[in-house]
Amino acid sequence: MDWGRIRFFLGEVQRNFTRNAGMQITAIGTVAVTIVMLGIFLYARSALIHAESGVFSQIEISVYADPAATVAQETVIRAALAQDPRIRSVTFVPKREGLAQMRRLMKGQIDTSLLTENPLPDKFRIRVREAQEVPAVARSIAKLPHVQNVEYGREVVQRLLQLAAVMRPVGIAVIVLFLLVAGIIISNTIRLTVFARRREISIMQLVGATNMYIRMPFICEGLLAGIFGTAIAVGALALARASLVPKIASALPWLPMNTVAVDLSTLVLELFAVGAAVGALASWIAVGRYLRA
Amino acid sequence: MSLVYPNGVRALDNISLEIGKGEFIFLVGHSGTGKSSLLRLLYREMAPSSGHITVDGIRVDRLARGRIPALRRHLGVVFQDYKLLSDKTVWENVAFALQVTGAHTRDVQRQVPRALDLVGLAHKSRMYPNELSGGEQQRTAIARALVNNPKLLLCDEPSGNLDPANTTEIMELLRRINLKGTTVVVATHNQAVVDRMRRRVVRLDNGRVITDEERGYYFLGLGQDQILSG
Repeated sequence: MDWGRIRFFLGEVQRNFTRNAGMQITAIGTVAVTIVMLGIFLYARSALIHAESGVFSQIEISVYADPAATVAQETVIRAALAQDPRIRSVTFVPKREGLAQMRRLMKGQIDTSLLTENPLPDKFRIRVREAQEVPAVARSIAKLPHVQNVEYGREVVQRLLQLAAVMRPVGIAVIVLFLLVAGIIISNTIRLTVFARRREISIMQLVGATNMYIRMPFICEGLLAGIFGTAIAVGALALARASLVPKIASALPWLPMNTVAVDLSTLVLELFAVGAAVGALASWIAVGRYLRA
Repeated sequence: MSLVYPNGVRALDNISLEIGKGEFIFLVGHSGTGKSSLLRLLYREMAPSSGHITVDGIRVDRLARGRIPALRRHLGVVFQDYKLLSDKTVWENVAFALQVTGAHTRDVQRQVPRALDLVGLAHKSRMYPNELSGGEQQRTAIARALVNNPKLLLCDEPSGNLDPANTTEIMELLRRINLKGTTVVVATHNQAVVDRMRRRVVRLDNGRVITDEERGYYFLGLGQDQILSG
């Protein structure tokens, strides 16, 4: 290991970094702002996706058999349901059990002892593999013979499905846009620092430094700007999370934000990776333009 | 070999020139006659529009971009404006040429003092360029050009910014370097220098070689004394 060489290189990086402090602060600030927005976005997204999948996994289709249907006819229904590959599970709830459940649920609200006979039909509770298939499955079950009624939270399911369908592409587009803007600003900032060092670069080229060697300090610079910016952003996000999330949760209790479920360490790692990559890539492009010119 | 700039100017027009190992050669001519262009072709700042250039067996005109650094490590270039880094000391400026080409620290420690000794600046190695005279700055630049032990030293108006005393000093230094076996090519329009040294003189005019003399003068066949007395 040639420590003198490493020391020289680090000295060059540190010299550039401190000499162009103003520009570096601009770059770091840009990264920080971008990463904060990205962080909020990713956080909200993963919280929502979690909430969404929680809701989706609980969607249930209730299939009510015709009260007049015989056991044999109900067996036919059950067989048809079992054959449908879209259906994950089928639970048969005979009317006696249904009444018992209702008694438990409605205890104190309705006096079920007044009932002289069981008004409930036999019921199948169905869970579907893919939430998107709920409406289609419900429609096809409704066509089966001796099925009186099929119910699921039509409105809720449709809203959720629409939301999910919009969230993904919009999310990706927003992220790409953020990164593009950050990349352009960092690239321009680094170009200014490259310009400030054009004399040094031309001497390096003259004495036979490779383009790779000339690039390295700038890339490290970009990398540092990215990492510093992300560190600031993560700090700000952590503060915001600690102070804001409990307030949001108590102000909007209906918002299914299961904040515990968001994997924070992965999120932070992702943010650092993105910040560092954007910084390094932007400098690579900025220096490349100069070296070719 | 020819060089045509993108704007259509023929900087060099069908030049053919051979420089032997260990030679000391002056390129003379008015400004804009192609002296600097010729040097730039040699260190591959530019490529010729047609023809070929060979430096120490390397076809410089065909050199791939990625091989240019290797070529430049084997030659030194000195300019009129020294091209020193003002925030680095003399020692650091000379060491820079080795450090940015990935040299080992022990090579830097060995070669830099040697180059500084050669140009007589060992005692000023910790000073900054703006604390030096023009001649000392140029000697620093020469030390930087020589620290890689190049076989060829290219000088573009090395005395352009110097007074006569410093010019003499620099030329004496170049002569010593040449005596050690390095080929030296000097582009200049300093008549006194050329006439005093009496070396090979290649005269360029309008991008062409018009004369090529062993032991020549700045003006064709005439020394300074003869011009003054005539």
